[in-house]
Amino acid sequence: MSTELTDAIVGMREDEALAIVRRMLDAGADPAAVLDQAKDAMGVLGQRFECGDAFIPELIMGGEIMKDISAEVKPRLKKEAGAPTRDTVVIGTVQGDIHDIGKDVVVLMLDVDGYDVHDLGFDIAPERFVAAIVELKPKVVGLSGLLTLAFDSMKATVDAIVAAGLRDQVRIMVGGAPVDQQVQDYTGADGWGSDVAAALRLMHEWTGRAA
Amino acid sequence: MSTDGERLYREREQRFNDIVALKKPDRVPIVPHVIHYFATKWKGISNRDAGFDHARHYEAIKDATIEFGWDFTPTNGMFAADGYAALGTTQLRWPGGDLPDDASFQFVEAEYMKAEEYDEFLSDPNGFTLTKIFPRIAGGLEGFGQVPIPPLYWMANTYYLMNVGGAVLAAPPIRKALESLLAMSDAVAGYFAADAANAQEMAALGYPRTWGAPIIPAFDVVSDMFRSLRGSTLDMYRHPEQLLATIDLVQEAQVGLARMVMAVTGNPRVFIPMHRGAGGFMSDEQFEKFYWPTFKGLVLAIIEAGGVPNPLFEGDYTPRLKYLAEFPPGKVAGHFDRIDRAKFKEVLGDSMCFWGNVPVSLLCTGTPQQVKDDVKELIDLFGDGGALMLDSGLGVPDEARPENMHALREAADEYGVF
Repeated sequence: MSTELTDAIVGMREDEALAIVRRMLDAGADPAAVLDQAKDAMGVLGQRFECGDAFIPELIMGGEIMKDISAEVKPRLKKEAGAPTRDTVVIGTVQGDIHDIGKDVVVLMLDVDGYDVHDLGFDIAPERFVAAIVELKPKVVGLSGLLTLAFDSMKATVDAIVAAGLRDQVRIMVGGAPVDQQVQDYTGADGWGSDVAAALRLMHEWTGRAA
Repeated sequence: MSTDGERLYREREQRFNDIVALKKPDRVPIVPHVIHYFATKWKGISNRDAGFDHARHYEAIKDATIEFGWDFTPTNGMFAADGYAALGTTQLRWPGGDLPDDASFQFVEAEYMKAEEYDEFLSDPNGFTLTKIFPRIAGGLEGFGQVPIPPLYWMANTYYLMNVGGAVLAAPPIRKALESLLAMSDAVAGYFAADAANAQEMAALGYPRTWGAPIIPAFDVVSDMFRSLRGSTLDMYRHPEQLLATIDLVQEAQVGLARMVMAVTGNPRVFIPMHRGAGGFMSDEQFEKFYWPTFKGLVLAIIEAGGVPNPLFEGDYTPRLKYLAEFPPGKVAGHFDRIDRAKFKEVLGDSMCFWGNVPVSLLCTGTPQQVKDDVKELIDLFGDGGALMLDSGLGVPDEARPENMHALREAADEYGVF
């Protein structure tokens, strides 16, 4: 395993990372292994982020480099026969709130982290979360919001999940800049976070992964 | 102005200035920073009507200021919805536009300038703004992008002004765009009239207005309004020189605007909304390169012009406290959202007053007792020096429970009289 590619991605050297990928592929490397290696590098970034050694720009730029590498590798990938099942998470910005920047960074990192992320978008009504739980059977539901009106929307969404008889099938996290323990208690969620690192920590805890 | 009102106004402003200057006041004041829909919601006015009916909105702010016992009257953070409608802005969504009547207005962050357009903007900021940015932020202004408009200096004489300028102005898309601008200006004039009448009325009643106008830090202008979070962070790696040049150009505008709004509003207090400088958004190294120099420059320029900068440190600024210690002591009214209060006192206790920071979540979903306990915690911590002003972390939350806003006043009276 080449640490060269990991170093280039973690060091945010986009052109170099892509050049290494092309060289590896041209030399006959297994495309799936190349992609896995790139994902591992993103994992390193994620860990650094959780420790406070990397920040939003690294995550966004890392996500961009991943996208470039995937575009390069995917045409050469053979159809995967039995891809391992991944834990599913449904996420969205709650009704009345159209802010999605924070949620998008969470979606990016959960995806890179190997979760099957279903992003419902923003201004999502409680019944759409309920329908997504019925359809996708996620382990975790993430409710995002930036405005104070989101507190009541989050509560209404949790209430709707309870009313639909689905509450014991999912863990619910509430997140966003103004969210804290108080909001978790108010909404009846199982966890809260005001940043991406908190979302990752909760997911790891709830899906039985080591942090 | 009644004598009582005059006296109260002077006392309240003096108390604010003393606290900023780190002198212990007679008591802890409540200085709500900014207000959007709280007062109108409390009065049963829809968010839609709050945006369009400026007189009713200001009446509600006046009533709330008196009812909830605030020491200052918060500045209205909402702009004229009739102005948005006249422009057909696509950069904001608002109740009565395409949002329901009870929704809040919201900013639509997008790449209004592409990465490959930096040089075009830098070489001709005015032309680029007119022909590229305006059509992208407002449907009513699309005409400026549909007809070639030469640089103004091409028309710097009567012959070309009439020949070229006359022809450009005759084009229907340009006419339509100009009509949108004039209609926007009419709407804004109505808003400003209501705003000025409110400032005058509140002053007569003894309430200074918290701040005059907002000035956004240069990095946030570029990140929020030109390139988006994603674009601006990618630019840190892909186009750092152009990003920095644009930040420097925008900085000239922000410093110029700060001086202008202080003169126009007559209010020395300038609100600086802070977005992307918070802990977690970037590393210290990136902060030092892209955010801090122009933010610090803006704060110092406002002080130099005789103003009081009111940065609202949105998010968690605990990791940035060491930078804030570089400001001259007793000059900055820093307003905090989430922050380690004890750490603040340790690092900045001798140089900056503390303004804030009862959590918005508590005011919106907690009980009056929880609010009072939190205020007590703040006063216990900062009461010895007394350099404390109370507010939520972010001004008056739209969804604050009225009983919790009453509890804020009760707690200030109970624990905050020295």
